[in-house]
Amino acid sequence: MDNRLTPQEQNALIEDALTSQPLASMPRSITLDVMSRIQKDTRPAIVTWNDFLLSLAIASSIGALWFASQNLPPILLAKIRIQGILLYQGFLVNARWLVPSIMFGLAALLAALTIPSLIQMTTNRRR
Amino acid sequence: MDNERSLIHRAQKGDHDAFAALVEEHQRYVYNLALRVVKDENEALDLTQETFVRAWTALPNFKGQSQFRTWLYRIVTNLCYNRLPNLRRSLNDLGDDVMEDIPQFDNPAYEIESSETRKYLHQAIDNLDANYKLLITLRYQHELSYDEIASTLNLPLGTVKTGIFRAKEQLRKSLAHLEESWTTV
Repeated sequence: MDNRLTPQEQNALIEDALTSQPLASMPRSITLDVMSRIQKDTRPAIVTWNDFLLSLAIASSIGALWFASQNLPPILLAKIRIQGILLYQGFLVNARWLVPSIMFGLAALLAALTIPSLIQMTTNRRR
Repeated sequence: MDNERSLIHRAQKGDHDAFAALVEEHQRYVYNLALRVVKDENEALDLTQETFVRAWTALPNFKGQSQFRTWLYRIVTNLCYNRLPNLRRSLNDLGDDVMEDIPQFDNPAYEIESSETRKYLHQAIDNLDANYKLLITLRYQHELSYDEIASTLNLPLGTVKTGIFRAKEQLRKSLAHLEESWTTV
Protein backbone atom coordinates (compact mmCIF):
# COMPACT_ATOMS: atom_id res chain seq x y z
CA MET A 1 0.00 0.00 0.00
CA ASP A 2 1.30 3.46 -0.88
CA ASN A 3 1.66 5.58 2.26
CA ARG A 4 2.60 8.74 0.39
CA LEU A 5 0.83 11.96 1.33
CA THR A 6 -1.71 13.42 -1.06
CA PRO A 7 -1.05 16.98 -2.32
CA GLN A 8 -3.85 18.20 -0.02
CA GLU A 9 -2.21 16.54 2.98
CA GLN A 10 1.15 18.01 1.99
CA ASN A 11 -0.39 21.48 1.73
CA ALA A 12 -2.09 21.08 5.08
CA LEU A 13 1.18 20.02 6.72
CA ILE A 14 3.04 22.95 5.18
CA GLU A 15 0.36 25.45 6.17
CA ASP A 16 0.35 24.05 9.68
CA ALA A 17 4.13 24.36 9.95
CA LEU A 18 4.06 27.91 8.59
CA THR A 19 1.36 29.10 10.95
CA SER A 20 2.65 27.26 14.01
CA GLN A 21 6.19 28.58 13.88
CA PRO A 22 6.65 30.49 17.14
CA LEU A 23 7.98 34.03 17.37
CA ALA A 24 11.61 34.04 18.45
CA SER A 25 12.00 35.15 22.05
CA MET A 26 14.30 38.08 22.66
CA PRO A 27 17.53 37.37 24.55
CA ARG A 28 17.06 40.67 26.41
CA SER A 29 14.92 43.78 26.26
CA ILE A 30 16.40 46.63 24.22
CA THR A 31 14.13 49.38 25.57
CA LEU A 32 16.79 50.93 27.83
CA ASP A 33 19.43 50.85 25.07
CA VAL A 34 17.08 52.55 22.64
CA MET A 35 16.01 55.17 25.16
CA SER A 36 19.58 56.01 26.13
CA ARG A 37 20.45 56.41 22.44
CA ILE A 38 17.54 58.66 21.61
CA GLN A 39 18.13 60.81 24.67
CA LYS A 40 21.69 61.38 23.50
CA ASP A 41 20.76 62.18 19.89
CA THR A 42 17.95 64.67 20.15
CA ARG A 43 15.54 64.64 17.27
CA PRO A 44 16.78 67.08 14.59
CA ALA A 45 14.56 70.13 14.24
CA ILE A 46 13.30 71.10 10.82
CA VAL A 47 15.45 74.27 10.91
CA THR A 48 18.64 74.01 12.95
CA TRP A 49 20.45 76.98 14.53
CA ASN A 50 23.18 76.59 11.87
CA ASP A 51 20.62 76.94 9.09
CA PHE A 52 19.13 79.97 10.81
CA LEU A 53 22.48 81.75 11.31
CA LEU A 54 23.65 81.00 7.77
CA SER A 55 20.44 82.31 6.23
CA LEU A 56 20.64 85.40 8.45
CA ALA A 57 24.23 86.10 7.29
CA ILE A 58 23.30 85.63 3.60
CA ALA A 59 20.21 87.83 3.94
CA SER A 60 22.22 90.57 5.74
CA SER A 61 24.90 90.54 3.03
CA ILE A 62 22.31 90.86 0.27
CA GLY A 63 20.60 93.63 2.23
CA ALA A 64 23.90 95.47 2.80
CA LEU A 65 24.78 95.28 -0.91
CA TRP A 66 21.37 96.58 -1.89
CA PHE A 67 21.58 99.36 0.70
CA ALA A 68 25.06 100.34 -0.51
CA SER A 69 23.99 100.36 -4.15
CA GLN A 70 21.05 102.62 -3.28
CA ASN A 71 23.12 105.09 -1.27
CA LEU A 72 26.35 105.40 -3.25
CA PRO A 73 26.58 108.54 -5.45
CA PRO A 74 25.65 107.63 -9.07
CA ILE A 75 29.01 108.87 -10.35
CA LEU A 76 30.82 106.44 -8.04
CA LEU A 77 28.63 103.57 -9.21
CA ALA A 78 29.41 104.42 -12.84
CA LYS A 79 33.14 104.54 -12.03
CA ILE A 80 33.00 101.13 -10.32
CA ARG A 81 31.19 99.70 -13.31
CA ILE A 82 33.75 101.16 -15.75
CA GLN A 83 36.65 99.83 -13.64
CA GLY A 84 35.03 96.38 -13.61
CA ILE A 85 34.63 96.36 -17.38
CA LEU A 86 38.23 97.56 -17.83
CA LEU A 87 39.52 94.84 -15.49
CA TYR A 88 37.59 92.16 -17.37
CA GLN A 89 38.83 93.50 -20.74
CA GLY A 90 42.36 93.59 -19.33
CA PHE A 91 42.07 89.93 -18.41
CA LEU A 92 40.75 89.06 -21.86
CA VAL A 93 43.56 90.90 -23.66
CA ASN A 94 46.58 90.20 -21.42
CA ALA A 95 45.69 86.89 -19.75
CA ARG A 96 42.97 85.12 -21.73
CA TRP A 97 43.63 81.90 -19.83
CA LEU A 98 42.90 83.53 -16.47
CA VAL A 99 39.08 83.69 -16.65
CA PRO A 100 38.49 79.95 -17.42
CA SER A 101 41.25 79.08 -14.92
CA ILE A 102 39.47 81.00 -12.18
CA MET A 103 36.16 79.33 -13.10
CA PHE A 104 37.71 75.82 -13.05
CA GLY A 105 39.52 76.68 -9.82
CA LEU A 106 36.28 77.74 -8.16
CA ALA A 107 34.54 74.58 -9.39
CA ALA A 108 37.40 72.43 -8.06
CA LEU A 109 37.30 74.21 -4.70
CA LEU A 110 33.54 73.69 -4.45
CA ALA A 111 33.92 69.99 -5.31
CA ALA A 112 36.73 69.58 -2.77
CA LEU A 113 34.56 71.15 -0.09
CA THR A 114 31.39 69.18 -0.81
CA ILE A 115 32.34 65.74 -2.18
CA PRO A 116 34.20 64.40 0.92
CA SER A 117 31.30 65.35 3.21
CA LEU A 118 28.78 63.79 0.78
CA ILE A 119 30.82 60.56 0.73
CA GLN A 120 30.96 60.59 4.51
CA MET A 121 27.18 61.07 4.73
CA THR A 122 26.60 58.13 2.35
CA THR A 123 28.91 55.77 4.26
CA ASN A 124 27.37 56.79 7.61
CA ARG A 125 23.89 56.05 6.29
CA ARG A 126 25.06 52.60 5.03
CA ARG A 127 26.59 51.87 8.42
CA MET B 1 -5.51 50.32 19.34
CA ASP B 2 -6.71 53.68 20.64
CA ASN B 3 -4.12 53.40 23.35
CA GLU B 4 -1.44 52.82 20.71
CA ARG B 5 -2.65 55.81 18.73
CA SER B 6 -2.40 58.00 21.79
CA LEU B 7 1.08 56.64 22.56
CA ILE B 8 2.17 57.44 19.00
CA HIS B 9 0.67 60.91 19.25
CA ARG B 10 2.48 61.57 22.52
CA ALA B 11 5.76 60.17 21.18
CA GLN B 12 5.46 62.40 18.12
CA LYS B 13 5.39 65.36 20.50
CA GLY B 14 8.62 64.11 22.11
CA ASP B 15 7.27 62.06 25.04
CA HIS B 16 10.01 59.53 25.82
CA ASP B 17 7.84 57.40 28.13
CA ALA B 18 5.26 56.92 25.40
CA PHE B 19 7.96 55.90 22.94
CA ALA B 20 9.46 53.48 25.50
CA ALA B 21 6.03 51.85 25.78
CA LEU B 22 5.90 51.48 21.99
CA VAL B 23 9.39 49.95 21.95
CA GLU B 24 8.38 47.51 24.67
CA GLU B 25 5.25 46.52 22.77
CA HIS B 26 6.78 46.00 19.31
CA GLN B 27 10.41 45.02 19.85
CA ARG B 28 9.72 41.28 19.81
CA TYR B 29 8.09 41.42 16.37
CA VAL B 30 10.83 43.57 14.89
CA TYR B 31 13.52 41.33 16.41
CA ASN B 32 11.81 38.20 15.10
CA LEU B 33 11.75 39.56 11.55
CA ALA B 34 15.39 40.68 11.72
CA LEU B 35 16.48 37.33 13.16
CA ARG B 36 14.71 35.35 10.44
CA VAL B 37 16.57 37.33 7.81
CA VAL B 38 20.07 37.77 9.27
CA LYS B 39 20.15 34.51 11.31
CA ASP B 40 22.35 36.02 14.00
CA GLU B 41 21.04 37.01 17.46
CA ASN B 42 23.45 39.88 18.07
CA GLU B 43 23.02 41.31 14.62
CA ALA B 44 19.24 41.02 14.94
CA LEU B 45 19.34 42.85 18.30
CA ASP B 46 21.50 45.54 16.74
CA LEU B 47 19.09 45.93 13.81
CA THR B 48 16.11 46.08 16.19
CA GLN B 49 17.76 48.84 18.19
CA GLU B 50 18.66 50.77 15.07
CA THR B 51 15.09 50.39 13.79
CA PHE B 52 13.65 52.08 16.87
CA VAL B 53 16.26 54.85 16.86
CA ARG B 54 15.35 55.60 13.24
CA ALA B 55 11.67 55.32 14.05
CA TRP B 56 12.10 57.96 16.74
CA THR B 57 13.80 60.32 14.28
CA ALA B 58 11.18 59.73 11.58
CA LEU B 59 8.17 59.59 13.90
CA PRO B 60 6.98 63.15 13.12
CA ASN B 61 6.56 61.98 9.49
CA PHE B 62 4.41 58.98 10.48
CA LYS B 63 0.92 59.94 9.33
CA GLY B 64 -0.85 56.75 10.41
CA GLN B 65 -1.68 55.66 6.85
CA SER B 66 -0.35 52.19 7.67
CA GLN B 67 -0.21 50.37 10.97
CA PHE B 68 2.67 51.39 13.23
CA ARG B 69 4.04 47.85 13.26
CA THR B 70 3.96 47.65 9.44
CA TRP B 71 5.84 50.95 9.35
CA LEU B 72 8.47 49.46 11.67
CA TYR B 73 8.74 46.42 9.38
CA ARG B 74 9.48 48.76 6.51
CA ILE B 75 12.33 50.34 8.47
CA VAL B 76 13.81 47.02 9.56
CA THR B 77 13.65 45.54 6.06
CA ASN B 78 15.44 48.58 4.68
CA LEU B 79 18.15 48.05 7.30
CA CYS B 80 18.30 44.37 6.31
CA TYR B 81 18.77 45.42 2.68
CA ASN B 82 21.78 47.48 3.79
CA ARG B 83 23.23 44.53 5.70
CA LEU B 84 22.52 41.99 2.95
CA PRO B 85 22.95 43.78 -0.38
CA ASN B 86 21.89 40.65 -2.32
CA LEU B 87 18.53 40.45 -0.53
CA ARG B 88 16.92 43.28 -2.48
CA ARG B 89 18.22 41.89 -5.77
CA SER B 90 17.05 38.37 -5.03
CA LEU B 91 13.56 39.67 -4.19
CA ASN B 92 13.39 41.67 -7.40
CA ASP B 93 14.64 38.67 -9.38
CA LEU B 94 11.69 36.56 -8.23
CA GLY B 95 9.60 37.99 -11.08
CA ASP B 96 5.84 37.60 -11.08
CA ASP B 97 5.12 34.55 -13.16
CA VAL B 98 2.83 32.92 -10.55
CA MET B 99 -0.15 35.20 -10.78
CA GLU B 100 -2.98 32.87 -9.81
CA ASP B 101 -4.35 33.04 -6.31
CA ILE B 102 -2.49 30.92 -3.86
CA PRO B 103 -4.83 28.35 -2.29
CA GLN B 104 -5.37 28.82 1.42
CA PHE B 105 -5.61 26.01 3.93
CA ASP B 106 -6.45 27.94 7.02
CA ASN B 107 -8.11 25.01 8.72
CA PRO B 108 -6.25 21.79 8.03
CA ALA B 109 -8.74 19.00 7.63
CA TYR B 110 -7.02 16.75 10.06
CA GLU B 111 -4.84 16.98 13.14
CA ILE B 112 -1.13 16.95 12.57
CA GLU B 113 -0.21 13.75 14.24
CA SER B 114 3.51 13.84 13.98
CA SER B 115 5.23 16.61 15.84
CA GLU B 116 8.41 15.31 14.21
CA THR B 117 7.07 16.32 10.80
CA ARG B 118 6.23 19.77 12.10
CA LYS B 119 9.70 20.12 13.64
CA TYR B 120 11.26 18.94 10.37
CA LEU B 121 9.28 21.55 8.44
CA HIS B 122 10.19 24.28 10.91
CA GLN B 123 13.81 23.38 10.28
CA ALA B 124 13.18 23.50 6.53
CA ILE B 125 11.63 26.98 6.92
CA ASP B 126 14.73 28.10 8.82
CA ASN B 127 16.90 26.84 5.98
CA LEU B 128 15.04 28.77 3.27
CA ASP B 129 16.87 31.59 1.49
CA ALA B 130 16.64 35.00 3.21
CA ASN B 131 14.29 36.42 0.55
CA TYR B 132 11.78 33.56 0.94
CA LYS B 133 12.08 33.68 4.71
CA LEU B 134 11.35 37.40 4.77
CA LEU B 135 8.16 36.88 2.75
CA ILE B 136 7.05 33.82 4.72
CA THR B 137 7.68 35.52 8.07
CA LEU B 138 5.70 38.60 7.12
CA ARG B 139 2.84 36.49 5.78
CA TYR B 140 2.52 33.77 8.40
CA GLN B 141 4.14 34.98 11.60
CA HIS B 142 3.24 38.62 11.34
CA GLU B 143 -0.03 37.94 9.48
CA LEU B 144 0.31 40.68 6.88
CA SER B 145 -1.84 40.53 3.75
CA TYR B 146 -0.17 40.19 0.35
CA ASP B 147 -0.92 43.84 -0.33
CA GLU B 148 0.65 44.91 2.96
CA ILE B 149 3.75 42.83 2.22
CA ALA B 150 4.01 44.35 -1.27
CA SER B 151 3.74 47.83 0.17
CA THR B 152 6.16 47.14 3.03
CA LEU B 153 8.83 45.68 0.74
CA ASN B 154 8.02 48.03 -2.13
CA LEU B 155 7.55 45.08 -4.48
CA PRO B 156 4.85 44.28 -7.04
CA LEU B 157 2.02 42.13 -5.68
CA GLY B 158 2.80 39.42 -8.25
CA THR B 159 6.38 39.17 -6.99
CA VAL B 160 5.17 38.67 -3.42
CA LYS B 161 2.78 35.90 -4.52
CA THR B 162 5.48 34.27 -6.64
CA GLY B 163 7.95 34.36 -3.74
CA ILE B 164 5.53 32.76 -1.30
CA PHE B 165 4.49 30.16 -3.87
CA ARG B 166 8.13 29.23 -4.52
CA ALA B 167 8.92 29.10 -0.82
CA LYS B 168 6.10 26.60 -0.40
CA GLU B 169 7.39 24.63 -3.38
CA GLN B 170 10.75 24.33 -1.62
CA LEU B 171 9.01 23.17 1.54
CA ARG B 172 7.07 20.63 -0.52
CA LYS B 173 10.38 19.29 -1.88
CA SER B 174 11.74 19.02 1.67
CA LEU B 175 8.61 17.14 2.67
CA ALA B 176 9.08 14.78 -0.28
CA HIS B 177 12.60 14.02 0.99
CA LEU B 178 11.15 13.21 4.38
CA GLU B 179 8.53 10.94 2.81
CA GLU B 180 11.27 9.10 0.93
CA SER B 181 13.08 8.48 4.17
CA TRP B 182 9.84 7.04 5.61
CA THR B 183 9.48 4.60 2.72
CA THR B 184 13.11 3.47 2.84
CA VAL B 185 12.96 2.69 6.59
